This record gives sequence, structure tokens and C-alpha cells, in this order.
Amino acid sequence: MRHSQKWTASLSTAALVLIPTAIGINYLGKLFAGLLKLPLWLDSIGTILASMLAGPFIGAISGILNNVMFGITVDPISFVYAITSGVIGLVVGIMAYQGWLANVRRALIIGLVVGVTAALVSTPLNIIFWGGQTGNIWGDALFAYGLSIGLPLWFASFLDSIIVDVPDKVATVLISYFIFTGLPNQLKGLYARHNDIQEL
Amino acid sequence: MHKLSLFVDQSSLIYKIDPISKMMYAMIAFLTPYILPHITAAIAITALSFSLLLIGRVFRHIVPILGVSLLLILSIVIVQGLFYPDNATPLFQVMGLTFYQEGSEHALLLTLRVLNMLAACGVLILTTPPDVIINSLMRLGMSPRVGYVLLSVLNIIPHMRATMARITEAQKARGVELEGNLKTRLKSFFFLMGPVILSSLNQTRERALALELRGFNAHAPRTFASASGAYPLYKISRVCVVILLLLVVSWRLYL
Repeated sequence: MRHSQKWTASLSTAALVLIPTAIGINYLGKLFAGLLKLPLWLDSIGTILASMLAGPFIGAISGILNNVMFGITVDPISFVYAITSGVIGLVVGIMAYQGWLANVRRALIIGLVVGVTAALVSTPLNIIFWGGQTGNIWGDALFAYGLSIGLPLWFASFLDSIIVDVPDKVATVLISYFIFTGLPNQLKGLYARHNDIQEL
Repeated sequence: MHKLSLFVDQSSLIYKIDPISKMMYAMIAFLTPYILPHITAAIAITALSFSLLLIGRVFRHIVPILGVSLLLILSIVIVQGLFYPDNATPLFQVMGLTFYQEGSEHALLLTLRVLNMLAACGVLILTTPPDVIINSLMRLGMSPRVGYVLLSVLNIIPHMRATMARITEAQKARGVELEGNLKTRLKSFFFLMGPVILSSLNQTRERALALELRGFNAHAPRTFASASGAYPLYKISRVCVVILLLLVVSWRLYL
């Protein structure tokens, strides 16, 4: 059994090294989406891939550290959403373990769940920090309309988040899913924690 | 290679303060307008953050960072001014839209909080290179494994950006369209991202093996390759930060 213990140690190093790569992929996703003028951010592909490959824990850490590093190197606003990114990693990782990566339709459901969860987590942050807005023109227009017809602030703010988050997260999860299914098994097995290495 | 950082390489008083004090300042300044929900407090701490930027001679470099949040601030001013739920007293009219006093005051407080947050973070990140921040956190006791992860982000991103440029050129040469309708562009997103992701995941395997070989999981105490920088203002700046914190807390208790 000493054999498999050794393996566990090296696997955890692989999973740890996956985190900066995931952060890099997030960054490139955002860059390419901008380059191709896509109407989405696609800035959490790395976090979601890390969750699919190495589970919820690594996924959540990738998400949180992604926003911390982005905060100290590009835009301090991203500190605020570190919790949201962490929860995204957590949700994808848990759903991936429970078999939601079986086909495209199930992956679509992961995307919807992630979008709604991200909006749920972001709403209180948006209310505390910016009085309910997100800084996205379409979302904020809906927020303003919601307030003008007398919706409660939290609900208008939730609508603001959800209209922005759901399409982006569904697209991000689907893109990550297609990339994940295309990865060689050799790579997929590298990070998985519940690998049983059989002794010869 | 273009470095991933907002650090401005020069020298001034703020550069002589140690990173941990600046980090403590950024946190205290960031929290102050929430601890003291009064416009006066928000104005005072925002003014302090901006004057620190002026003293640090990095004021001009905070402008692009503020520019990124301009849309958010505009949205706060317009939406809160027009639709803040407690609006009652009309303030002025523009093109048939009525801005209210309550909403505008709330918007002012929110805007000050955003500006203060950006300026307070700016005091830290404009005057301290990210690797110095991470190294000083490790000296304070942060796990070297976490330190490795954070430091390698700084190296990986410029590296991946170079890979990205190379792959974009290669795919263009193969006839991948970077312009066109949404479907074409979405398709080329896969052609561009796919190879970058695959190659960077492959590199993680090699990197993990290399780290293992070099004793990454060793339990012996770690030493630092670079000496800690000399911060002559170390003691004074810590005292100043603590005084600021006491001031904020006592102001809150006094209210």
C-alpha cells in the first residue's frame, strides 16, 4: 500500500500546479472573448475545468485565488467577487462528482445551476458595495426598470445579476464541457483524487 | 515579456513603507466607510487615500484603474439618483428626468466607497510589486505551497499570453476566421482556446514532476532566496496604521 500513498502525494502536487494554470486559462478566456468581440466574459473556464478535473476543493481555491490575483494585478474590484468565484468552483466540482458531466444536456443543467448560484451569491455583494448595480448596462437598465415599477431592491438586484450571469455561465460551462470531453484520459486521471491505483 | 502587474517602478516615501503596513492600511481604509456610514467619514478616508497616492507620486497611475469602474460609478449616480426607493425630495431635472436628493446622497456615499476602495488598493498595488507582497505574506507565515501557487500565476500568465499570440498566428495561417458572424467567432474561440489549454495542462504534469524532484513536499523549514527589503519606516508606519484603526473604531463608539 505504500505504493499508492506515494501516488497520492504526487497527485496533490499535480492538483496544486493545476491552480495557477486554471487562473491563466481564466485570464486567456477573457482575453480571447474580447479579441473575438464575443458578447460574453467567458472568464471562468479555467476555474470550471479545474473543478471538473480535480474536484470542488481545487475548483473553489482556483476561483478565490483567481480573483485575489486579478485584484492585485489588474482590477481591485475583482476582490469583491472572490466568494462568487469560489462558489462557482464548488458547485461545478460537486455536480461533476455526482455524474452531471455525462452528456451535453446534463452539462447544460450544471450551467443553469452555476448561473443562478452565482447570481444568488453576487446579489448581496452588489447591494452592499454598489447599492444593487452590477456595472453592466443591460443588467442595470433592468434594475432601474425594476425599481421604477416598485420591485423590492433585492429582487431588482437579483434580476440584474441573473440576466448577466446565467447566459455567461451556461456558455462557459458548455465550452468547458466540450474542452473537457476532448482532453486525453491521461490528463483527466492526473488530478482525480479518488483514483485507486491497483498494485500489481 | 510584458509583466502582469500595476506596479510603477520609481521611488518615493510610500515605497519605503513595508508591504504589510500598506496591506493593513488598504484593509482598514476599505472597511472605514462601512464601519462609519457617514459621508464625512467617507470623504475623510477617500481624501487620505488619494493624498497617499499623491505623496507616493503615483496619482496619475490610479486614473486608468478608476476608468475601468467609470461605468459602474455612472450607473450608481444615474440609477440611485432616479430610482432610489427612499426618494422623496426632487433635486433637479435633466431632460424630463427628476434626480432626487435622497438618492443622490446615497449615490455620493456609494461612489466615495468605490473611489476609496480603488485608491486604498492603489496605495498598495501601485507601489509594491506583486511578488514582494506574496513574499512578505510568506514571511508572515503563509504556507509556502500557497505562495508557490500565487507566485507562479505571475509567471504563467505572461507565458500563456505568448503561447496565445503564437497559436493565434498559427490558426490564422490555417485559415481560421477571427471575424465574421457570432457563430464563426464562437467556433474560432474553440480553435484558439483548445490548443492553449491542452498545452498548458500538459505542462502542469511536467511542472508537478519537476517540483516533486526538487523537494516541494519536503517538511524541512523553508528559507528565502531573496533577502527581505529594507524598510526604514517599518515601525512608524505600523504605529500610524494602528492609530488609524483606533481612530476609526473610537469614532464609531463615540457616535
